[in-house]
Amino acid sequence: MNLKKYWLVASNSLQEYFVYRLNFILWRVRVVVSMLITYFLWFAVFSSSKQVFGYSENQMLTYVLLLSFMNSLVLSTQTFRIAEEINMGTLSMYLIRPVNYFSYNLARDLSDKALNVIFSVIEFIILILILKPAIIIQSQPSFIFLFLGATTLGAILYFEIGIILSSIAFWSYETWAPRFIFFILVSFLAGNYFPLDILPGPLFHALSYLPFSYLIFFPLKLYLGEASGGFIIQGFTVVALWIVGLYFFINYLWAKGLRAYTSEGQ
Amino acid sequence: MKKYFRLWLVLSVRSFETFFVSRIGAALFLTGKILRFIFYLGFLVLLVSKTKLLAGYNLWQVVLFYLTFNFIDSVTQMFFRDVYRFRQQIITGNFDLLLVKPVNSLFRVLFGGTDFLDFITLFPFVIFLVYAIAHLSHVTPFGIVAYIILLANAFVIALSFHIMVMGLAILTQEIDHAIMIYRDFTGMGKLPVDIYREPLRSAVTFIIPVGIMMTFPVKSLVGLLSLWGIITAILIGLIFFLGSVVFWRYALSQYTSASS
Repeated sequence: MNLKKYWLVASNSLQEYFVYRLNFILWRVRVVVSMLITYFLWFAVFSSSKQVFGYSENQMLTYVLLLSFMNSLVLSTQTFRIAEEINMGTLSMYLIRPVNYFSYNLARDLSDKALNVIFSVIEFIILILILKPAIIIQSQPSFIFLFLGATTLGAILYFEIGIILSSIAFWSYETWAPRFIFFILVSFLAGNYFPLDILPGPLFHALSYLPFSYLIFFPLKLYLGEASGGFIIQGFTVVALWIVGLYFFINYLWAKGLRAYTSEGQ
Repeated sequence: MKKYFRLWLVLSVRSFETFFVSRIGAALFLTGKILRFIFYLGFLVLLVSKTKLLAGYNLWQVVLFYLTFNFIDSVTQMFFRDVYRFRQQIITGNFDLLLVKPVNSLFRVLFGGTDFLDFITLFPFVIFLVYAIAHLSHVTPFGIVAYIILLANAFVIALSFHIMVMGLAILTQEIDHAIMIYRDFTGMGKLPVDIYREPLRSAVTFIIPVGIMMTFPVKSLVGLLSLWGIITAILIGLIFFLGSVVFWRYALSQYTSASS
């Protein structure tokens, strides 16, 4: 596989962001504001209690501050452009080029993630200097390794889900509404406001079989080092099964979608 | 006034008709909005049930802060939905077509597309609000009147923000996220601004008056806001409104009709 062409795709995609610099900076402002709301909510909660839902203040504030980094690494994506390309008929241009369309999208996603991660790290450092929270620095290499592994799997899973959501465009123009609902579900069920294990036991147990919790909650729980052997094995097994299952589903869906595709608009 | 009301009615009926063009999409967006509301409410109930108090407020007071935020946010979005499409009119030059019409251009771009998805959510919010207020103790008639006045003041500030965002769109043409930044900042008001640390708390109370918009109405209802606090809030609302109109007039004078 010739990686150079995908490197060029990533590079071009990155350059697009620098055309609309102010937009990107404003986007990052939005991310920081959202994170601050969650941070101060939990900060207020811990002003009167030492421990809430089994979490100490350090653990919870570390979790919240790392959310921005996790969102940049796992949830930033360009896969919504697939739906636009199907609806506008521009997908045809990619189909006749000597590129793998999924690899092409992966390259676009990686540039998106790289830029967002760089900014989130800078924001993280600035917020640490301003807010001065007592955060947890994970020092055990095993947990850091598990955290990085789970984050990578989470990013792959979200990439797959993004492709599936965009594939709706083969049959309908209504692609933003399902994506909006999915975004709402991810916001709450992935652990973007709170660690999922504060939820009542049966609800948390049910969520552990859905893909959402493996996007944010599972990797962050590993970073905090608050994970038993059983939890880790179950987590990696479930996320691996989802990735493999969705891989086959995408292949099936894409083949069916291409048969329905009429290159309308071109 | 009568002419503008009739015009708003005609524009709203047209907007309502577009609702039926993509029924499934509209239903899904509505579902998403309801889910978001329920999820966050559930989270707050779970949290405050456990801690009993949040920044000194009890569960029903916290719920009322959240409901008041949602009510103001929904009314604002319902009336000013067209503002989200304003930048497109500027970069395509289509704004020219509005400027030559015998209607106030500011009125036309502000009220051009009433959103019925938000209209649908208003009734449950009002019922929830009354239900939550009924669970508060020590609510006085003065508190209720002050609450209603400060809600109206919140809408004036929201209107001013939307006018300023449109002015920015004329001047810069580049800002896509300005209105969303406004929404994110006002999102800080879904919780009482007392939870934020200084100097952020003062900034979101007076500079970006999210606190005055979202927190002050509930504070007045539960008797935590003095008469001077209410008067100050109204004065800040008026200053914001006048400032936004002056800014709009300046922005309009700089309009270059690009792309047309």
